[in-house]
Amino acid sequence: MEYHPQPTPGTARPWAFPAPERGALPNGLTVLRCHRPGQQVVAVEIFLDAPLDAEPEGLDGVATIMSRALSEGTDKRSAEEFAAELERCGATLDAHADHPGVRVSLEVPASRLAKALGLVAEALRAPAFAESEIERLVGNRLDEIPHEQANPSRRAAKQLSKELFPATARMSRPRLGTEETVRRIDAAAVRAFFDAHIRPATATAVIVGDLTGIDLDALLADTLGDWSGDAGQARPVPPITADDTGRVVIVDRPGAVQTQLLIGRIGADRHERVWPAQVLGTYCLGGTLTSRLDRVLREEKGYTYGVRAFAQVLRSTGPDSGGAAMLAISGSVDTESTGPALDDLWKVLRTLAAEGLTDAERETAVQNLVGVAPLKFETAASVASTLADQVEQHLPDDYQAQLYARLAETGTVEATAAVVSAFPVDRLVTVLVGDAAQIAEPVKALGIGEVTVVSG
Amino acid sequence: MPMGHTATAQAGSGGLTATEHRLANGLRVVLSEDHLTPVAAVCLWYDVGSRHEVKGRTGLAHLFEHLMFQGSGQVKGNGHFELVQGAGGSLNGTTSFERTNYFETMPTHQVELALWLEADRMGSLLAALDEESMENQRDVVKNERRQRYDNVPYGTAFEKLTALAYPEGHPYHHTPIGSMADLDAATLEDARAFFRTYYAPNNAVLSIVGDIDPEQTLAWVEKYFGSIPSHDGKQPPRDGTLPETIGEQLREVVHEEVPARALMAAYRLPHDGTRACDAADLALTVLGGGESSRLHNRLVRRDRTAVAAGFGLLRLAGAPSLGWLDVKTSGGVEVETIEAAVDEELARFAADGPTPEEMERAQAQLEREWLDRLGTVAGRADELCRYAVLFGDPQLALSAVGRVLDITAEEVREAAEAALRPDNRAVLVYEPIEPADEAEGTDEPEGADK
Repeated sequence: MEYHPQPTPGTARPWAFPAPERGALPNGLTVLRCHRPGQQVVAVEIFLDAPLDAEPEGLDGVATIMSRALSEGTDKRSAEEFAAELERCGATLDAHADHPGVRVSLEVPASRLAKALGLVAEALRAPAFAESEIERLVGNRLDEIPHEQANPSRRAAKQLSKELFPATARMSRPRLGTEETVRRIDAAAVRAFFDAHIRPATATAVIVGDLTGIDLDALLADTLGDWSGDAGQARPVPPITADDTGRVVIVDRPGAVQTQLLIGRIGADRHERVWPAQVLGTYCLGGTLTSRLDRVLREEKGYTYGVRAFAQVLRSTGPDSGGAAMLAISGSVDTESTGPALDDLWKVLRTLAAEGLTDAERETAVQNLVGVAPLKFETAASVASTLADQVEQHLPDDYQAQLYARLAETGTVEATAAVVSAFPVDRLVTVLVGDAAQIAEPVKALGIGEVTVVSG
Repeated sequence: MPMGHTATAQAGSGGLTATEHRLANGLRVVLSEDHLTPVAAVCLWYDVGSRHEVKGRTGLAHLFEHLMFQGSGQVKGNGHFELVQGAGGSLNGTTSFERTNYFETMPTHQVELALWLEADRMGSLLAALDEESMENQRDVVKNERRQRYDNVPYGTAFEKLTALAYPEGHPYHHTPIGSMADLDAATLEDARAFFRTYYAPNNAVLSIVGDIDPEQTLAWVEKYFGSIPSHDGKQPPRDGTLPETIGEQLREVVHEEVPARALMAAYRLPHDGTRACDAADLALTVLGGGESSRLHNRLVRRDRTAVAAGFGLLRLAGAPSLGWLDVKTSGGVEVETIEAAVDEELARFAADGPTPEEMERAQAQLEREWLDRLGTVAGRADELCRYAVLFGDPQLALSAVGRVLDITAEEVREAAEAALRPDNRAVLVYEPIEPADEAEGTDEPEGADK
């Protein structure tokens, strides 16, 4: 073939993260809307201010059961009828509870938005919470627990939360509850949780998609506008604290062919000035297969299919609100390579701390993180999800747009400082789900902290 | 009047067009303009997949796909990844039974870079391919296999089902990931021969979709790909012809450390690209897609004997497609109980067919899935390549949703009657066993033994 020199890029067409229009309905519901031409599948994200922390003592999982029960019948429709009507719209509806609150996510072709939004409004306004349906959801949830226990990455996440957070904190316990707590949940508990925490005044609906020809104001008035409730009361938000004393916990899985690793601690959330530098530095450490970790662990040594470093906000309600993000490194390595892989991983962290990032690395990271934005936010669902994240983290509506400008301004020195303080080699809690008989000794020899073994 | 048509006029094929071109070396090119967002997708399908692999070399097509990211004539090491990501793009490659695809989604002004990179490896991969990357990627792929299949409960179920549904020696008997032994056995010379056989412009389709200037884009394609020689070394895949149904009920019981009993089954279904396949897709959706399906309503809602119950469809063009039933039991429920209920539902459906409401729901669900797929430039580029490679006509991608909406209830019933029967299935049953180690957590129940 005839070789040609690498082409030079053309001129970039400007792109900006979409600015939503913010408003409120008479019932107090906050509404963010965003017209995205061509996006025929409309995404609706509703954030409900019902954090896991609000679950009553001993009823962990009630927020989850309530979320699931929202789509299991209303004052007008049985559970089966509700599911059938939604699917008749070609819609998907998902509701889940997490530390910041409950998220209800609807995706539906624009032509059937009116019908589907009506159903969602009905679910929020008058959920049935029939005893028989709640019993079924509780039974179903109990059946799911062993499946999650058996999944190495779910098991690792559960153990890391238990290690990091004080036993009294909701965050230390499984988001979806334990067998003991889920068993106690009944229709009355679900109804009580709903009555105490679900109301339009503390909720926000984000609607994104091609809204051409849709009278959204009229549609909202007829649907979510019909939902009523009192003003609600502000609830104190406990600060997040964690014990990140460097140590290793092995969750024993005799015979496992791989070791699942999850190495973490907590750190800065989006309200802190360091966030953009932390994003940049974390990407350089483990954002992709050409980042530092995979360059060694995957592309040089072949120990893994891929290891990633990331920051995920746990809960955050404003500057100095005691919020935090989980900072973690996760992946899986073959059993035999567990010791050598961790040894290399720590070497990568030490080298990073000693020598810092290079300008070229920083440049590539900025180009990628900023450059992929128009791709990443091509669909309505991705825009809606990010806008709803901003809402649940009490961030301004232009946060994401500003973040890109701040990333571009962040220098190599700042990015290095941020990632080194995010992942200090002696303040990391390491969870390994794997065969203790094979991996415990090699891991002890690394000196990355005291090693304990717990059963599967 | 056909049901569920309302969302199609604007979306689906609405407004979307594609043009087709062919270079002198045989490379087929499909272009589709869409200027809503300043991005464009470059997608390249090679007409080679795991069905082309020979005995003793399963997994080679996929391992080879990894080697395509290890450098080429003018691109060093991981340069392909580094350059695309550094240009604000995203990229990957995947391997299935019937094809291998490579794709980059780029900001508009970087599309030329993606074309240069794809052409460089199509034309000059062997200049860079060496023993070191072969050994490294062999280890990476073996770890991929462990992570995605071997270290996950029920992780090898799909592999077992295809091995049952397609007989020994059939090109679809094994899945693209391949066996550990064959991955170990693959040599650098195998990889080189694989490239020389299958990686040629006349065995590929390139689609470019999004914010492009078609004339300029075509000129770039000609510039970078035009001088890559075609060749006729390609071996056709082994014959995938099989009887339309299995003809008997096959059964395998697996005793493994899994959290609950499971009943799975694979049914042979009509080939992709036929009306009968679309009808079967609708049948599986009514029976086992989503939360209002017959199996979900029966097993999860009413009988409460299952945690989850549903059907999946693997569309195949070169062999019968595969319908995959997956039911995880609740508590200590026996597999026989589930099986009896499933048989009853399938028999009833084969006799009566879907209700008008069920047809409307299933068509609406499949329509939304199509809108999702065609809603991104990358999804559209992939579908255009799919129809060009497998069916010779990319335009079929833009009318696919219309074909699904055109199917009648009677066709759906007929599809179920013909295929969803006990003598056309391979059944896979999971029976949990206790862990080898007696140590057991304190706060968790023990799988299905409650």
